[in-house]
Amino acid sequence: MTRGGRLFGLWTAALAVYAFLYLPLAVVVIFSFNDSLLNAEWVGFTTRWYGQLFENTEMLRAAANSLIIALGAATLATVLGSMAGIALQRWQSGFLRALPFLVLAPVAMPEILLGVSLLLFFRQVLDLTLGLVSILVAHITFSIGFVAIIVRVRLAGLDESLFEAARDLGASPWQTFRWVTLPLILPGILAGFLMSFTLSIDDFVITFFVAGVGVTTLPLQIYSMIKVAVSPEVNAVSTLLMALTLTLIALASKLAPDTLRGRA
Amino acid sequence: MKSLRVALAGLLLAVLATLVRAEDVLYLFIWNTYLSEDTVRRFETQCRCRLNQDFYSDNEEMLAKLEAGAIGYDLIVPTGNAVETLLRKKALRPLDKTKLPNLKNLKTEFRDPWYDPGLRYAVPYATSVTLLGYNATRLAERGLPTDTWALIFEPQHLEKLKGKVTVLNSQRELMAAAMKYLGYSVQETDPARWEEAKRMILRAKPYWANFSNSTYIKDLAIGNIWVAHGYSSDMYRAQQDALEARRPFRIDFRTPKEGAVLAVDSFVLHQSGGRPDLAHQFINFMLDGANAADVSNLIGAGNPNAAATPHILPEIARNPGIFPPSEELLRLEMLRDFDPKTRRALSRMWTEIKVR
Amino acid sequence: MVRWSEWAGTVAPGFICVTESRQAGRSPGPGENLQKWLVSLPPTLFLLAFLVAPALLMVVASFQQVGDFGGLLPVLENGQSTLSLEAYRFFFGDWIYAEIFLRSFLVATATTLLCLLLAYPLALLIATGGKRHRDLLVLLVILPLASNFLIRIYAWMIVLGPAELLYTPFAVIVGMVYVHLPFMILPLYTNLESHDPALLEAAQDLGAGAWTRFWRITLPLSLPGVWSGSALVFIPVLGMFAIPELLGGTRDILIGNLIKEQFLDNRDWPLGSTLSILLTAAVLLLAWLAAWAGRPRRGRA
Repeated sequence: MTRGGRLFGLWTAALAVYAFLYLPLAVVVIFSFNDSLLNAEWVGFTTRWYGQLFENTEMLRAAANSLIIALGAATLATVLGSMAGIALQRWQSGFLRALPFLVLAPVAMPEILLGVSLLLFFRQVLDLTLGLVSILVAHITFSIGFVAIIVRVRLAGLDESLFEAARDLGASPWQTFRWVTLPLILPGILAGFLMSFTLSIDDFVITFFVAGVGVTTLPLQIYSMIKVAVSPEVNAVSTLLMALTLTLIALASKLAPDTLRGRA
Repeated sequence: MKSLRVALAGLLLAVLATLVRAEDVLYLFIWNTYLSEDTVRRFETQCRCRLNQDFYSDNEEMLAKLEAGAIGYDLIVPTGNAVETLLRKKALRPLDKTKLPNLKNLKTEFRDPWYDPGLRYAVPYATSVTLLGYNATRLAERGLPTDTWALIFEPQHLEKLKGKVTVLNSQRELMAAAMKYLGYSVQETDPARWEEAKRMILRAKPYWANFSNSTYIKDLAIGNIWVAHGYSSDMYRAQQDALEARRPFRIDFRTPKEGAVLAVDSFVLHQSGGRPDLAHQFINFMLDGANAADVSNLIGAGNPNAAATPHILPEIARNPGIFPPSEELLRLEMLRDFDPKTRRALSRMWTEIKVR
Repeated sequence: MVRWSEWAGTVAPGFICVTESRQAGRSPGPGENLQKWLVSLPPTLFLLAFLVAPALLMVVASFQQVGDFGGLLPVLENGQSTLSLEAYRFFFGDWIYAEIFLRSFLVATATTLLCLLLAYPLALLIATGGKRHRDLLVLLVILPLASNFLIRIYAWMIVLGPAELLYTPFAVIVGMVYVHLPFMILPLYTNLESHDPALLEAAQDLGAGAWTRFWRITLPLSLPGVWSGSALVFIPVLGMFAIPELLGGTRDILIGNLIKEQFLDNRDWPLGSTLSILLTAAVLLLAWLAAWAGRPRRGRA
């Protein structure tokens, strides 16, 4: 087979996979403009579902909850996760030998297990009211791992001699961190933040178990809508959600193009 | 970078501000779509407070949430068996009937339920029947009966319905339907009779499309499914959706002649609620005939409130699937919770039913 | 444009990176001890509190008894311990539960293999194609993850319904593959990208054909990527309950459904905990096997 033929084959396969990935999304977006409650077939164009959506206070409240939780969880998870990433890279003695497993467990574990065990824990040990705090804690727990791994990989790719040079020039550990390490791992940290944010805002399984009074998140709201009988409002809200994520991504690359682009 | 910081600080302040702002809030844990936006708004203007609703779609889900420590709800709307469970766990607050003058509006047959004799804790709000919803056009074409559980259990009928039937994904409800068809009580615990029901279910299962607690509403309305075992209010919804979308067939629903499960959902006050005053105010508001009628007109639920009757749309008030005639009412049974051992045994059997 | 290709794929290879111990360790200097505690304690404590403690609690719960109306009986009642092996005995009492475990592992295996089959050509194309479009192509893989998980499943209900494929095992596999595919593509891509093109050129100079080069060089070198991708697909599939529930037919019940049922439908927390513990054990065993199979044989580049 010629090189051209191989490339052609690869492209065909790749396009098929992309089609597979985007077919359902296209269906969601298209049917959000369908003038039929049942969405079984195309009836006609309308934007009324979007109008209804903006009058749906429950839905808007759920969206606000999701945003607040995602921002809070992503921020805290980024701080804790970056610390874990640095610790992973720098020290591997004593009790810290166990850290890799602590960090990996929530990433590798089936979500349902984390949700269930946290539910038991909040109830039996902390006697904590389920609500905003329990969701935050749960989301931070599963996000830390992702951030730590990304930061650790970033650190591993850096040249150790940079830090030595800083120390030789008399920089204190804090100064070394602030002016050498931090700028270098910032892309990793930002990436970790974005990842935690996405994970948190989309999480359904764990939130399902730990959510409580007055805190319904968007995925929970969507789940209850799907359970009851889906109206095209669900399509509308997910179309908006996709648009929002796209905007966030575009914004991130606009705000800090250099840090995100720059390699060490 | 600076603008980013300012923006973040602003956001943080906004979040704090919403947290700090004191407000009268009534926390409600309720079935999905059980209150119309309109009713909510009217109550909010009247009480000058805010109603916060969290939803569940299953009693067990609600009980699990409460068991898991969800506290702070003023009002919950459990079904009879769940009211009993909550009562036995001492999770409910007794009603102060002096604050509920509208209690007189309740129909007499709902004033002394087995789970709460004398209505000391629970105020009935809505009823539903677990029955069969069906595509009347398709069934008529095939000459199938519509008033019997045989439709979902007998292979002779199922032959003509292969892949067009869904049953509830609930061990209690499906077993209850089977028990009723076999002529037993829904509270039957005799292992031999369970075994009999299991064999019957396994014989019918290959013809069913899936176990569904919710998707059948849409599947019926679209026409993917012709017979669904489910709740009367869901069937009403499917019927209305099909009408609105001008589907080329008619959806109908009916209580099988062998009898079925009746569910009565009531307002109860949870111990952990912080605003029993608002909760009483809300219950009394909902007992008013015009407000009480809402739940029937909105979702096609049966209504235990006599004063509501004049406000209910005639086609709903006449529907025997929603308001069972009194002779049918006698054949309806409410579910009662089993003890833990029986529950585990039933769950094992349920798993077996699913796997085979 | 964000350098997606740089960060998105780091999670899975991170598995290998994180578990691999560092060779060149410096001896901690004076004052570094304080630093070490300051940096490593907060995340460690957090994870101990909210990951390890709940897990241990689940172990205890699996030995406890069901309360009369759900929940758990206290461990001690009138000075007598109420703990028992009952839930485990119940599990091992007959084949049904083991059968569901087996079936879930089969579904997970099928999903993983299909993901691999679909992901490999795409990952290879992104990794070896022009650098110009690389970020965009990777972004296109990640983007579906940005839409709500349930919505994606619901979309398949719309697509599969008219084709009469809804409520079949096929629909379950389609849903599983769809949701997890990106997690296979990304680690594979990151791995393939790190290969040294000189190796392939050298092989070509020595007269190796395209297929030989693939089988003898590309594939063996990409195995670590294959392993981490497989772990990221296989394990989550085991705990999934929404997909079988929404897309599956009357026989599609997996461990995830069983666990969820115990906690949310049946109020049987001890049995639910037991099932969770056994699933964890199975997952750990597999993770260990995968780590063993995917261990770096030579020094990493």
